[in-house]
Amino acid sequence: MLNVQLCQLRLNKLNPLQALILFFSITLLTPTTVTAASENEFADDSWDEIVAAAKGGEVNWFMWGGSDDINRYVSDFVGGLLKKRYDITLNRVGINDTVEAVNLVLGEKEAGNTDSGSVDLIWINGENFRSMKQGDMAFCGYLDAMPNNALIDWENDSIANDFGVPVDGCEVPWSKAQFAFAYDEKRTDTPPTTIAALIDWVTKNPGRFTYPAPPDFSGSVFVRHVFYHAAGGVKNLLVDFDQALFDEVAAKTWQILNDMKPALWRAGRTYPQSITQLDQMFANSEVDITFSYDPSSVGLKIENGSYPATTKGFVMTDGTIGNTSYTLIPFNSPNKAAAIVLQNLLTSDEAQYQKALPEVWGTMPAIDLSRISDEYKDKFNTLERHPSVVSEAELAEVALPELQSSWITAIEEGWKENVAR
Amino acid sequence: MPRLGRLRARKIRFQRLTPWLLLLPALIVIVPLFAGGLAAGLLRSFNYMPVIGLDSPNLAAYSALLRDDEFLPSLLLTTYIALTSTVIASLLALGAVLMIRRLNAGRSLINFLLQLNLTIPHLVGAVGIVYLFSQSGSFARLALHAGFINEPQQFPALIYDPAAIGIILVYVWKELPFIALILLASLQQGGEEFEAVARTLGASRWQVLRFVTLPNLLPALLASSMIVLAFTFGAYEIPALLGAYYPAPLPVLAYRKFTDVDLASRPEAIAISMIIAVLSLIFVLLYAHITRRQIEN
Repeated sequence: MLNVQLCQLRLNKLNPLQALILFFSITLLTPTTVTAASENEFADDSWDEIVAAAKGGEVNWFMWGGSDDINRYVSDFVGGLLKKRYDITLNRVGINDTVEAVNLVLGEKEAGNTDSGSVDLIWINGENFRSMKQGDMAFCGYLDAMPNNALIDWENDSIANDFGVPVDGCEVPWSKAQFAFAYDEKRTDTPPTTIAALIDWVTKNPGRFTYPAPPDFSGSVFVRHVFYHAAGGVKNLLVDFDQALFDEVAAKTWQILNDMKPALWRAGRTYPQSITQLDQMFANSEVDITFSYDPSSVGLKIENGSYPATTKGFVMTDGTIGNTSYTLIPFNSPNKAAAIVLQNLLTSDEAQYQKALPEVWGTMPAIDLSRISDEYKDKFNTLERHPSVVSEAELAEVALPELQSSWITAIEEGWKENVAR
Repeated sequence: MPRLGRLRARKIRFQRLTPWLLLLPALIVIVPLFAGGLAAGLLRSFNYMPVIGLDSPNLAAYSALLRDDEFLPSLLLTTYIALTSTVIASLLALGAVLMIRRLNAGRSLINFLLQLNLTIPHLVGAVGIVYLFSQSGSFARLALHAGFINEPQQFPALIYDPAAIGIILVYVWKELPFIALILLASLQQGGEEFEAVARTLGASRWQVLRFVTLPNLLPALLASSMIVLAFTFGAYEIPALLGAYYPAPLPVLAYRKFTDVDLASRPEAIAISMIIAVLSLIFVLLYAHITRRQIEN
């Protein structure tokens, strides 16, 4: 009898209607008091005042949670320092897609919640940053109060513009990333090193390649590589969105991707839903090529045993796309001071160096290395990369810029309409 | 005497009120969350949200869904998954229960095994199915070692497949014990006397099953399978983890639209959720109708 009750309880809990209703009522029941928060309440505060205000606070940091190494760095290293030095508790909230955090803030804004939001910091860039900025949902204009702002090179276009949208003091750069591919030497003799060669390779090796369905960010950036290839280079595309140009290049892109389909994994009838799934399929020898917006992940995955030691990173000689990612405080965060202290810590030479260590994360620093202390300059200079990871110089040589986010949205939509089904 | 009468009247009135008072905590939770949330969702699906300046309700989200190429395949797939899982789980549960009651020794062990996975979450079940049945899972590896296949692709695609076999496997695995449990409970409520009576009156084993046991079990079977049907129709996590990319079942489609960068897709996402809610409601009403008829007969 007890068992029957128990399982009724379980079903009640999972009833789709209730789940749905609970979901909506969260938006409905949030407090609707509206108080005008000044845009830069911290601009005139001294750093000590901000640190004092932040003491004992809590930061809910929403970030992509698909990498154990990144999660460990954030929770253990950053969270540990934050607690020890500033008495601030870091809650890392793992999400699958940054748009989930953007939607949460948007829902709160619609419900009139202007000062007690649930998100204090978001790892963000591109179209999500554009949404936050357009919707007036970013907290801006406090950067001068942050000591480590001095380490950031705002003269650099790839820092001052996030996918073509000016940052305008609304977010703080955290990491640089550049797309790279990986293959297993044991399974593949010579990997294709141009997009054209890759397309050819796929048709000659049926079933051994696929890409995650956009809007997964890695799948999306793979499709953009094909888009650049179809356009004959990125040069013409670095403008405001142009429908005629888009239609022309997109038609060629869909043609290439649809021609490729019969030779993809499962004959292109379905796609992996995330980069994590593609990585697992590569590790299990279901496909022969994987890729990542984080080239150093190959080294980490060899070290933790998920990839074979014969895995090698490689880049396309016609270029791979790179970008900068940022952290942003939503306008209605109730813990802004604590979030600013966290951003300052994240941009310190100490935290950026730890992040660059190949055994920790191995990602490129977003601060200007000519401005940091001599101690860390030396450390960065002697940093060793994992032998299987593409070298920094090789990456820099082939770096391609990202498009403005309006292009990216159009490409993702178009892929869904023309290739996915 | 009049004083006593008043007291008694008050006591009776209070006794009538007591059930309501006791229900109050549950009602406080259910009414605002359930009715309020449903109403808010309904308004949003009609594009009505005065807070952000949408003050003329319309059916744009619903008509956009009808024009969406993915909606109909998605609806059909969802119905197929829910119906197939429910029918298979119900039949297997019915068979299992009829077998179990014939056991003497080992009955409690079988009961325990049957109920064990009620405590395991769907998500864990889904991960288990991936480990076992994917093209690089345990069974594929065994097949490789045994020489049945030479590479992963030759193993039949059971996960992320258009026929949704992986999804149905998880649902059958998880819902079978639930239905069986309800059936066993219902059997224990005095079904055996009727069977004994039928046997003493000369009914054959088949006749007892056909005219006594099955009619006796039917209300419980219908009740539990309708719950399963409504649940599998609206559940998100299993199809999200084990489903093919296109077409996606309705709950997954709703979530994709809700998280679309284009905010105009949000009313469509909520419209899909409303359609799921209405269809689930229809299942429940249908169930109520059928059981009432069965009981009347």
